[in-house]
Amino acid sequence: MKLKSKTTKLHTAGKRIGAAVMAMAFAAGMTGTAHAEFKKDEWVLVASVINTTNPYMASNIEGAKAMSKKLGIPLEIVNSNGSSQTEISSILAVLASGKKPIMFVNTVASSDAPTIVDAVGKAGGFVTIWWNKPADYHPADVGNHFVAFQKHPGISSGECGAQAIAEAIGKKGGVIGLPGVQDSTTSQTRVAGFLQEMKKYPDIKVLDMRPSNWDPQLGAKNARDLIVKFGSDIKGVWSADDGMQIGAMQAFENANLLDQTKFASDGLYPKTLEDLKSGRGKNAIVGETFHRGYMASAVGLWTAYLAATGKIDPSKEPMEHRESLFKLSCVTPANYKEYLKYDEAGAADAFVEQLEKVGPWAAEPMPLVGGGAEVMPK
Amino acid sequence: MQMILPKDWKGPAALIASMVVLGIIFAVLNPRFGSIENFRNILFQVAVPLIIIVGTTFVIQLGSIDLSVQGVMGAAGMAWILLSANTRLETDYGIWAWVIAIGIGLALGLLAGALHSLIKVPSFVVTLGTWYMGLGIGIILYGDEMLPSLKSSVLLAWPTQLTLGLPNAFWLAAVILVCGNLISRYTHFGRGVLAIGNSETIANNTGMPVNTIKMIAFTLAGGLSAIAGILATMQLGAGSPDLGSGQLFTVIPAAVIGGTALSGGEGGIMRSAIGVFLLIILNNGLVLAGVNPAYQSGVFGAILIAAIVVVARPDRGILKIAK
Repeated sequence: MKLKSKTTKLHTAGKRIGAAVMAMAFAAGMTGTAHAEFKKDEWVLVASVINTTNPYMASNIEGAKAMSKKLGIPLEIVNSNGSSQTEISSILAVLASGKKPIMFVNTVASSDAPTIVDAVGKAGGFVTIWWNKPADYHPADVGNHFVAFQKHPGISSGECGAQAIAEAIGKKGGVIGLPGVQDSTTSQTRVAGFLQEMKKYPDIKVLDMRPSNWDPQLGAKNARDLIVKFGSDIKGVWSADDGMQIGAMQAFENANLLDQTKFASDGLYPKTLEDLKSGRGKNAIVGETFHRGYMASAVGLWTAYLAATGKIDPSKEPMEHRESLFKLSCVTPANYKEYLKYDEAGAADAFVEQLEKVGPWAAEPMPLVGGGAEVMPK
Repeated sequence: MQMILPKDWKGPAALIASMVVLGIIFAVLNPRFGSIENFRNILFQVAVPLIIIVGTTFVIQLGSIDLSVQGVMGAAGMAWILLSANTRLETDYGIWAWVIAIGIGLALGLLAGALHSLIKVPSFVVTLGTWYMGLGIGIILYGDEMLPSLKSSVLLAWPTQLTLGLPNAFWLAAVILVCGNLISRYTHFGRGVLAIGNSETIANNTGMPVNTIKMIAFTLAGGLSAIAGILATMQLGAGSPDLGSGQLFTVIPAAVIGGTALSGGEGGIMRSAIGVFLLIILNNGLVLAGVNPAYQSGVFGAILIAAIVVVARPDRGILKIAK
């Protein structure tokens, strides 16, 4: 009997402790506060990408895989297939698995961010959003579970392209532009940077800007129409990303105009790098920007991981750590070789190692350069 | 000419008239619109949708629909480029690249046709499935490696090269279009398609091999989408599973604008082709006229409605439109 009574007491005490632990865990989960003790098997890394066919998105996945390998935490990839609806429902399905997420999301549309952040908070996880969020939706106002919003400044991207084209065409002549999806913040900021920089060159005329939805086919189609419209008056072509530039270059090559036209864009995709190296079209590519998807996802996941492990308390971090702008490098035919090392085998693993040493805000080649919303030029 | 022109040419004539009016307006706004260079540019751009619309028209004439176009294009385009000389793989299977890529399209089409006709799954659902199957094949082939680009300068230049003054891409489409039209008008299959679209019950009662005809139509559509995928890949010089993006919303409206009723049993391939020309010319003209991109979609829609209401209305049964 005594034994039984002791067992019962122990059992009751155990129950109480268990309930207390559960309550604490629940409370911690609900408020997005990190556990005192970080247990890997309670967590899952999640990387949500817009699609899996764009080279940038494929690189996002590569970074997440490297991070999963480094941390020893399993990874779930969410492929949104270009649809906000698919993105949100897939993320909710992952969250329902019971594990707490450390999440990186490359949002399909700005308006998706609040729904995702809210769901992650309820699941006791931590999320970093890349590229798109509503302008008036700030991590600091939402809570610790929305660890950070991060991006590369679009304005710098447009400026890089404009400078490269202007110099290459002798600061005079006509240029055309191929923006991405017209209502995307990323495209809008890049276009604003491009047009702002072009104002410095009074003899350059921006002949036309035709949004091409990040689509190589549409980029090629619009380029063909603009070739008919302006012919050899087009001295330079700026695209808001390399996908559209790949299409545009093919259109100019088909029209036998590639040799006399200069191109600048954003992303330095492998195909673009190949054309830059080979000097396709008498060195047609004159400017690019360098950033890699694997770096974005690794920085995003690492920031969320620091919050999940309690190594940082997001609410005590400065504003630029919550809404961060990371450096974007201007690449030209003269300096592109400096960036080749970031595409070598094992580069993503090396970048993750670097993050462990210096943290998410000081890793080369994309240290933090500012914070808050990008100020659009007037 | 009677062999190629539809018997009921009034509707198409009205559409052609509307295109001429549009052409004159665009040429006034920008004289380059009427240039030979732009003429070739338009022919280059219509090639891919023209190939697709031959198959689409057969399926729509049956009273069914084929949504799988973009997925099949992605799968076939990726298979073709990876099996041709490209920057990612060393392999070059030459003619077999074509055979395998078109084979993928035919297989997906046959699958859709068989499920639709034998198991009676609605074509809308089954082709939605084969769309995503095709896209899935494209994505798997794409993997996470670099974008494959065509190496062969001959293949790269072929679509734009001129034969008798017109781009090769257009000639390919024109040959397919004429063959499709002949099949539609002068074969048992072609007449069977229209008969099934008019009344499947009567077609069945007369001993027509309804299921076989349906399967052939879907298989043909799959094969043609695959050829369109290969041509689009050649035009771009690079492979992408999203290659067909937007094509579905060119070809289905084009078929309907041309007078091929979604309820089946009506219309023809040449009429659908005119619809394709109208849409491509409209888009091209708006860019050349310098319409602000922010207004382009709205203006495109408004002109399209105006053209159809004013010109094509007398050709339509009002009750059908009311649906």
